[in-house]
Amino acid sequence: MADRRSGLTGPPEHRRTTPARAVVIAELLHLESSNLLELYRKRETFIANVISGDSRLVSVPPPSSQLDTRDKLWRLQTALLQCRGLMERAIAKEDEELSTEMGEYKTLRKMVSDRLLYLVNTIGEVIKAMDGPALVTPSFNDSLEPDNLTVFEMKLWVFRVFIEVDYWAKTAETVLQALPKERVKPTRLRSTRSSHR
Amino acid sequence: MPPWPDRRRCAVWLSCCFLSVVHARALNELSAPQQVTLTGSPRTQQITVSWRGSHASTFDVIILRPELNQTVFYVTGLSANESGGRHEWKWTSAEPLECASLSVQIRSREGAATSEWSAAAVLPGNDVPAKAEFQFYPQDRVVAAGSSSTFCCVVAQGLRLGSIRYGSALQNATRLSRRSYGVTVTGQQPPPSGNWGTNVVCQDLQKSQLAGAVVFVGYPPLLSDFQCETEDLVSATCRWKKARDTRLYGKRRTRFTLNDRECAERQAVEVESCASQVWEGNWTLEAVNPLGRLVLSDGAEMEHRVRPPPPSEPSVEVDAWNATLRWSWEHAAYRSLALVCQVELGSGGNRTKRAFTGAGLRSARLRKLHPDEDYRVRVRCGAQRNFWKWGNWSRPLSFKTHMDVPDAPDVWMRIDHDNTGDVVWKPLTARQSHGELTSYQVTLRSPQDTAGRTESLGPRASALPLRPARTDGATRITATVVAENAAGASRPATVVIPLRGPDQTVVADNRADATERGFALVWPERADADADADCGYVLEWRDALCRRDCSVEWLRLAAGSTEATVASGHFQPGVKYNISLFSCSSEPLRRWHGYARELAPSGTVPHLSVSQQDSDAVLTWGVTPEAGRRGYVVGYNVYLANDSGLALLANLSGEGSRKYTVKALSKGTYKFTVKAYTLAGEDVGATASVTLQLFADWLILEILTSLGATALFLAIVTFLCYRKRKWVKGAFYPDIPQPKLNDDWSRTQAPLDVRPSPHHLVRVVEKPEMDSFKEVLVVIPEEDEEEEGEEEDGVTAACRRPTSLRRHGPMADERPDGPREPYSSDSSDSSVDSGQTDVTYTGIQTSGSSLLSPADGGRLPSQAPADGGGYRPQRRAAPPGEDRGDDGRRASPGGGGYKAQNAWRLDSPGEEEARPAPSPGSPGGVAEEEEEEEERPAPPSLGSPASVASTQFLLPDGEAEEPGREKRPLSVSAAGWLTNLLSSAKP
Repeated sequence: MADRRSGLTGPPEHRRTTPARAVVIAELLHLESSNLLELYRKRETFIANVISGDSRLVSVPPPSSQLDTRDKLWRLQTALLQCRGLMERAIAKEDEELSTEMGEYKTLRKMVSDRLLYLVNTIGEVIKAMDGPALVTPSFNDSLEPDNLTVFEMKLWVFRVFIEVDYWAKTAETVLQALPKERVKPTRLRSTRSSHR
Repeated sequence: MPPWPDRRRCAVWLSCCFLSVVHARALNELSAPQQVTLTGSPRTQQITVSWRGSHASTFDVIILRPELNQTVFYVTGLSANESGGRHEWKWTSAEPLECASLSVQIRSREGAATSEWSAAAVLPGNDVPAKAEFQFYPQDRVVAAGSSSTFCCVVAQGLRLGSIRYGSALQNATRLSRRSYGVTVTGQQPPPSGNWGTNVVCQDLQKSQLAGAVVFVGYPPLLSDFQCETEDLVSATCRWKKARDTRLYGKRRTRFTLNDRECAERQAVEVESCASQVWEGNWTLEAVNPLGRLVLSDGAEMEHRVRPPPPSEPSVEVDAWNATLRWSWEHAAYRSLALVCQVELGSGGNRTKRAFTGAGLRSARLRKLHPDEDYRVRVRCGAQRNFWKWGNWSRPLSFKTHMDVPDAPDVWMRIDHDNTGDVVWKPLTARQSHGELTSYQVTLRSPQDTAGRTESLGPRASALPLRPARTDGATRITATVVAENAAGASRPATVVIPLRGPDQTVVADNRADATERGFALVWPERADADADADCGYVLEWRDALCRRDCSVEWLRLAAGSTEATVASGHFQPGVKYNISLFSCSSEPLRRWHGYARELAPSGTVPHLSVSQQDSDAVLTWGVTPEAGRRGYVVGYNVYLANDSGLALLANLSGEGSRKYTVKALSKGTYKFTVKAYTLAGEDVGATASVTLQLFADWLILEILTSLGATALFLAIVTFLCYRKRKWVKGAFYPDIPQPKLNDDWSRTQAPLDVRPSPHHLVRVVEKPEMDSFKEVLVVIPEEDEEEEGEEEDGVTAACRRPTSLRRHGPMADERPDGPREPYSSDSSDSSVDSGQTDVTYTGIQTSGSSLLSPADGGRLPSQAPADGGGYRPQRRAAPPGEDRGDDGRRASPGGGGYKAQNAWRLDSPGEEEARPAPSPGSPGGVAEEEEEEEERPAPPSLGSPASVASTQFLLPDGEAEEPGREKRPLSVSAAGWLTNLLSSAKP
């Protein structure tokens, strides 16, 4: 589905370059994570009163203008990989506690998780194309997901995870769109994506 | 009193005192409970209190919130369990134990005696300073729907409570301690859909922090239809249904155990079946969730609970009309088990089920299928003995039967009046063609050409025109039609066609009434039925009004049939159909006609005409055309059209009633509407109008009748007047006393000096043709003079004089100065001019001056004669001296002159009738004014006969007929006539 929506199928001459594909995936991820966050806010209305602090669940080196493109991508890939891990845990935690029936929320939740992994792999391909290490090893900070959470605490934690995913999806969109033009050829994807919205 | 009772009383008193002292000492000896300990269970919100050191049997317990010194609970006379010297008592708190610290004190009680309170034992809550963070209790609570829960919020140190919401509902909080607040929610219900739990959230006043909990509201498990069965004849599968959704999922879902073995589940989803490796005969299912536990049981012999698995590997063998379905069984036990299997066969939109039985059944023969048709089939089975349930359906199979030769076509004929027509046949349906048709072969044979000629037509053909070239002038031909497809040719279908037209044979024509099912027809059995015993009949129907290339439908009937119902989807309402019964040799036997459904006529009755016959209106109309009838015309309704609509005049039954007479109409215009009607209603109606003239004979008759009646009336009046003439005369014409003549009237009388009244002018008209008695004086009103003088030349001379008189009349006398011409001279002239006129004084009406009252003063015309004298014929003869010297001017002061006429009343009938109707400009109008002026002073007295006579004679009949003069009323003439009549009747 992701391929179909991003226009990755079709004749080879119409296929986009890897960086361009990464941009499209990041845009889709950002859109879907925003939708997921919106759905969650509708379901858990008390979230509106939650003040999201500065503490982040994803830990990566701070951004710096000194970083070159490859380092930026590596940092982005690391963060997205952590996001993917958080999403998986959030899904498992929710299913264990609540185990609700399938619906739009669960479908979107799974889609964001899959899209995260796909973006991580795509960015890895871009890094690999730059002669760098293709994949990073995810390292989770277990303290970010304390044991014995009450359901209320779990809901707050899941919300933080979704916030984090949305933040990094937006960051990925920005970083990938800002890649040097010679590496990311302009495509007509934006208009294509818009038609899918 | 004896002394000893006092001593006894004293002893009793002393005993009481002693006992009370002893009792007081005993009370003082009740010791307070020691070593009071508290143990709290946050999940159950229960406190266990234990203590030691008292021999009392009952205790008082008080529970306080020490921070606010609030009494939470107090009980007295409590009996506590004792074990090993320790008493124990349990108490459940409404609020979670974490909400606020609780202190418990106990004292011993023996009746009314109590010990001191024990030292307070405190169960610290989470609102102690050591736990300064924001907290909320209880967490993750599961409660039954409809129950109540109490929540508490422990505000962080240094913050103030803002709000506590249950879901989105703001709650009223109760302070439990310095930092703790509680809310109680009653009647909790699960959310309408899903169940992620209801959030209960507490927030501080600055909304900088929040804490909360999630509460799950649901139901305890409730199941039904717990049954165990076997598919493989070895193991058991137990199933049940959820009678109610617990609304609890995930960790709080219901868990099941079957015979104490946990049922396997996937992804934390509730299961609805549980398997057992062996058939145990008895099963116990236990369902548990946080709100309750349910136990169900079942037991049965395995042979009674066989539910076969779906047949596997289904396959089918097919031919044109049959198919064989085969399948297999996974479990060897089914190869010998007596089974009943159900095969569902679907074709198009239809599904049929066929049952098959047998031991180890593994195939089924499907008969009576249709060639070249698609089918879909599946099978399921059950145990033939001790049938329990059908097993699941096998995988469905689709197949198509083979082709076969087509059915023989149903052939008939369509013959027009000119002996042309078609051989027609009903197109074969898919079920009849048994495969795609390739052609129709049509062979026409005549007695002269027995070999015949064959024509090949396309598969869509359904008729072959019988052109002369094909019939060769034969009067009877035989047509044979054969349908062909890839599998072969059909049996031939034959029809005998008599080319002499369908109407050449006269048969009875009956009316056929239709029902909802069609035309129900009955006919007698043929006497020569044996001749056609094996070929039956054909019922044919067609549009009765169709003349050429008409569509025809037919129905084949078995030999010996005597009734049939003709139904067709092509029947149109309002269309007349001819239905014919033919023998198999195409001989017409019987004919009917009828409407499948009648409608109201679409047209109107033609040629509607209406004519007058005396005072009647006769309506006639024609027969409604066949095309517009749309039903059998039952009759006609005749309406009279008026402003308010149609008024029904007559309902004529029968189609032949096409004439109607509307009798006794008066003169006028009439519109009639005639509507033909069938059983379904009437048509819009034709309208015709007629204007009835008055019947001439009647008019003449009426005139004659009225004339006769008038004549009769007059004759009766005349007769009555004649018979009563004395009375009439006495009433209207009393005798006038003869004047007494003192002088000698024998000598010749001098000419009468007729001087006009100063106010009224009297025109003296001489009518030579009349006798002297008919000469009359006409009173001419002054104002009329000028007009008459201008209009009537014949009287100009007579009018001029009065004009001058008026000019010098009393009105002119009012002029202050100027010479005045005396009236006398003119009057005298006038008298001289009319000296030859013989005037009868009885015919002269008294002038108005004599009637006026003296109050009119100098303007009274009566004074004028005093000056100028006038006509005084009735005056008594004065002494000769006076009379000779008087030229008429020396009248008596009272006006002198003629007075007998003063007695005349203006209201006498004769006067009233003689008064002309006033009209502008007419002389009569002015005259009426004059008369009105006279009316006022008129004394009420019976009229003078002289007045009547004078009135009549002053208005002679001859003048009324003069051209240019106003016509006198007829009544005047009638009055004159009556007067003359009475006069002539005078004795």
